Amino acid sequence: MAPADPFTLNLTWTQVSPRLAAARLTVAALWLVPLLVVAALPPLLSGVVWWWFLAAAVVLIMLWLLWLIPRQVGALRYAEREDDLLIRRGIMFRTLVVVPYGRMQFVDVKAGPIDRAMGIARVQLHTASTSSDAWIAGLAPAEAARLRERLASRGEARLAGL
Amino acid sequence: MSVPEPAPVRPEAVGDDGYVWRRMHPVTPLLKGWKTVAALLIIASTQLTEDIRRAARLLGGRGWLVALGAFVVIAVLAVAWAFVSWRVTRYAVTDEAVHLRQGIVFRQQRQARLDRLQAIDVVQPLLARLVGLSELRLEVAGGSGSRVSLAFLRESEADGLRAELLGLAAGLHRPGSAGGRATSDGLSGAVGSGHPAPGGRATGDAFGAAGAGGGGAVGASGGPDADWFRGATGVGEDAPGAVGAVGAVGGSAARSSAEAFDHTGGPPGRAPSAAVTHRGADTRRAFATAPEHLVYELPMPRLLGSIVRSGGTLWFVLLIVAVLVMVTLGAPVGSVYSLVPMAFALMSFFWQRINGAATFRAATSPDGIRLRHGLTETRSQTLPPGRVQAVRLHQPLLWRGKDWWRVVVNVAGYAGDHDKQGTETVLHPVATRDEALLALWLVLPDLGVDDPRAAVEAGLVGTGEDGGYTAAPRRSRWVDPVGWRRHGVLVTRRALLLRSGRFWRRLDVVPHERTQSLALEQGPLQRQLDVASLAAHSTHGPVVPRIEHLDTAVAVALLEEQAERARHARRTAAPEQWMRSR
Repeated sequence: MAPADPFTLNLTWTQVSPRLAAARLTVAALWLVPLLVVAALPPLLSGVVWWWFLAAAVVLIMLWLLWLIPRQVGALRYAEREDDLLIRRGIMFRTLVVVPYGRMQFVDVKAGPIDRAMGIARVQLHTASTSSDAWIAGLAPAEAARLRERLASRGEARLAGL
Repeated sequence: MSVPEPAPVRPEAVGDDGYVWRRMHPVTPLLKGWKTVAALLIIASTQLTEDIRRAARLLGGRGWLVALGAFVVIAVLAVAWAFVSWRVTRYAVTDEAVHLRQGIVFRQQRQARLDRLQAIDVVQPLLARLVGLSELRLEVAGGSGSRVSLAFLRESEADGLRAELLGLAAGLHRPGSAGGRATSDGLSGAVGSGHPAPGGRATGDAFGAAGAGGGGAVGASGGPDADWFRGATGVGEDAPGAVGAVGAVGGSAARSSAEAFDHTGGPPGRAPSAAVTHRGADTRRAFATAPEHLVYELPMPRLLGSIVRSGGTLWFVLLIVAVLVMVTLGAPVGSVYSLVPMAFALMSFFWQRINGAATFRAATSPDGIRLRHGLTETRSQTLPPGRVQAVRLHQPLLWRGKDWWRVVVNVAGYAGDHDKQGTETVLHPVATRDEALLALWLVLPDLGVDDPRAAVEAGLVGTGEDGGYTAAPRRSRWVDPVGWRRHGVLVTRRALLLRSGRFWRRLDVVPHERTQSLALEQGPLQRQLDVASLAAHSTHGPVVPRIEHLDTAVAVALLEEQAERARHARRTAAPEQWMRSR
């Protein structure tokens, strides 16, 4: 049993939907598959074997993303506390962000076409600071709406100026 | 009680909304159009010289006439455009907000809420200064491009408006005011002709003055002036000129009402006594400028010395050496000329440094910190209390011998988009150590430690555990072999002090109640060493508080405690309207 990860702060963390991985893989596929086709054309047409290395590189990138993206999505978690929201992400380069509800200036809920097809949304929290990079992607629309309402009401209750 | 009755005021001045809309000074279009003309001249002289010469050769003497004609036409068009834009630009001041209408093609009406006011600047570019006009800039915390700029106003008008806006933002009320709406009611000129003001003398102590102005009110030509700080003396000085002039601008519609300010628990000594003002047409000058108390100023020799000891000088020396080498090696003249742009860049760097920081003075006043600086373009900034989000004291390498420090701050309104040199976020351009401490004390009077001087000095020059700092562990030298000894953090009751920088020393101070959010970051190497970096997010500005490579357990504990402390500090923080108690 590994020692407890200090970044968890002994809280119960909520994972985001695995559909986020599907959405991100779809986006990756949208540009990698055409790239693979373009890379495969020269060797196919000319028959020169070593030109396949380009296509092989693209395939390698695809496999790497196929391995990486689900892991990244699995590492994206959030926890709600009485007075603040915590967001954790990253495996290699890990980040833990704490955003007090009272500091929240506004909340964005966004969903692009692929996100909508997958049934997920992204919640972005804005404070007066441009460096607070606090977002949670891959939330079910109902959960995103609930979170938004909750953040708004809590922000209202704990509102402070700047 | 407010029945809009536009008749006594200029008819066009009162809008459908009942606000009194004012215009900028009529010279504004000339001052603004002038810039276009100057830009045109510069472009013409640098870019078109060859073409003009060729054209002149082709057309003989008439070519010059054509060029001159084109120039005149464009200049006239520029000024005409500026004139039309001046015609449609209006502003109005109410108790809650400043409204600004502008735009010829795209109409825009902007409203800046006074309770969100972060800072007020009075800026005087050289030309405006020569004709006695100023630009008033209101900074609200809306990110870049959110400022409200009133350009140009008469100097006295801008100063009066600033005092009034600061008073309103502080939570004081305009006496008997109905929000600056047009409430003129025929009692025009009731106080019309310069009452002598029976007022005590204020002593000029920044925080203790006031209360004195017993009924300090002056009416000069329909523009009475309620005074709450300076008593009669101060008003007497500018009443005949300034107030009279404003009164004339505003017209003579006035109803005066002597009544006490609505004053709810301001600090002692701030109690304004009976005040006389009239409403509607001229609500200006209902507040007098708060007295100032000089804290420090920057001597010119030190400024020049600091520039000599800057990176720019190194480049300058390199440039001279390069030129000498090229000349001695007999390089063609053309290649020497290629260094001219660099020389120009250096010159403008030096000039901006001098121009921005020359005559730098900081003063305290009940309205907050006053900063004045500038050689050709002067700027007078007012930062109300509690508007500074974070402070950084830092020392470039070459300043170490002199023990000079530069003090910069984050203020929410100064998004830094207009001013790349960042002169508006400077609290002290070149401070001695004592002055640096004084500057820090100006924005954070209570650091929350028993010996603030020791704590700050340990942050400025200390290493390791000096002064009670929690230092980065020794193992972090693997990721930062040079600077690891300087990484340290001190938590006081009121603020977070972050120390770093081996050669470019740096100390960041963030009051707990100004922390926006916090982040803990850890890369793969840091993970191996069991260290992590902590960032305290502040508003946009030159200060980016961050501490690298703390022990992970320490960093996590700090994050947890800091979140709690920030929450607690916000709950007990001073109100936004600084003259009111919560």
